[in-house]
Amino acid sequence: MRLGCALEKEITGLLDRGHWPEACSDELRAHVAGCRACRELVLVKQAFGSERIKAAGEARPESPGVIWWRAQLRRRSAAMERIEKPVLGAQIFALAVCLAATVYLFSLARRGFDWLAWLGELPRVLHFGSLLSDSAGNSPWEIWLLISVGAMVAVMGGLIVYVASEKR
Amino acid sequence: MNWESAIPDVLTGDATGVAAAPACASMDSEGFAAFYERSARPLWAYLARVSGNAALADDLLQESFMRFLCADQPQDGEVGARRYLFRIATNLLRDHWRRPRSASIEDISPELFQARDQSAACDSRAMLGLAMKTMRPRERQLLWLAYAEGYSHREIAEITGLASASIRLLLFRARRKIARLLTDDRRVP
Repeated sequence: MRLGCALEKEITGLLDRGHWPEACSDELRAHVAGCRACRELVLVKQAFGSERIKAAGEARPESPGVIWWRAQLRRRSAAMERIEKPVLGAQIFALAVCLAATVYLFSLARRGFDWLAWLGELPRVLHFGSLLSDSAGNSPWEIWLLISVGAMVAVMGGLIVYVASEKR
Repeated sequence: MNWESAIPDVLTGDATGVAAAPACASMDSEGFAAFYERSARPLWAYLARVSGNAALADDLLQESFMRFLCADQPQDGEVGARRYLFRIATNLLRDHWRRPRSASIEDISPELFQARDQSAACDSRAMLGLAMKTMRPRERQLLWLAYAEGYSHREIAEITGLASASIRLLLFRARRKIARLLTDDRRVP
């Protein structure tokens, strides 16, 4: 099945350049008058061309600056979302660990287990005895002092790392 | 990498040196403004005449440009960028039509679109306006892209996502149909 006419391309070019019908040959005009496909092409192309001009005149587009700014905001929020996703995952994981630990400790406490006894074993397990004098290793307040110093070092270390990363 | 360096400066609109979002690097704000001035009105005309709804055309115009700016833009100059913009708009139109009911664009009756056309600005008294209302949405798209925008069959296939081989036949049928409506008095109000 043959669709259209072989001269459609030529007529389309004439219409696009505004040469139809004045600046074209009599033969071509005669062809269009007798060819259904070309007649339809001219009719439709002229109708859509004038409708396009009319419709474009009706448009009231926003200023390009507003569109640009909104696009930047959207990109920024998308980037934030990308960054925050792993942080949220870590927070959920930490929360889950804390919950699990709490549940575990409560279950131990309910069974009457002395769950702080492991603190007393800590100096022996970590071989702190070699760092302390013979008498010092035996007094409980010195063990607590050691634990406090260790905790303070850990907290300070975390703070230093946090401040350094913020500055960078 | 510091996270702030990955995010462009919103207030200055600076898109240079953006590592995480290189899409906009190809077009700065001034380049975009020039492109927008040249392509916003033709795109609005396409959206308004194909959808038959001026308010919807306003919304989709903005959304099309926003998505265009946030996506990887084609590197083949303004012609390619414009074609890409029309493709985004066509996809947004299709998404809009699919929203009320989960169906293909071809399955939606033209009466649905006539009923939605409440815009006085778009309710054209011109012959083409009336004829367009009786056409199927896909036919309107094809006709507008071919005869108002002057896109080739290959370009229309790229914009609409249809097979290039079927464009010729679909367009021929649509043209015959609208030509008959334009010449005859059998126009449906």
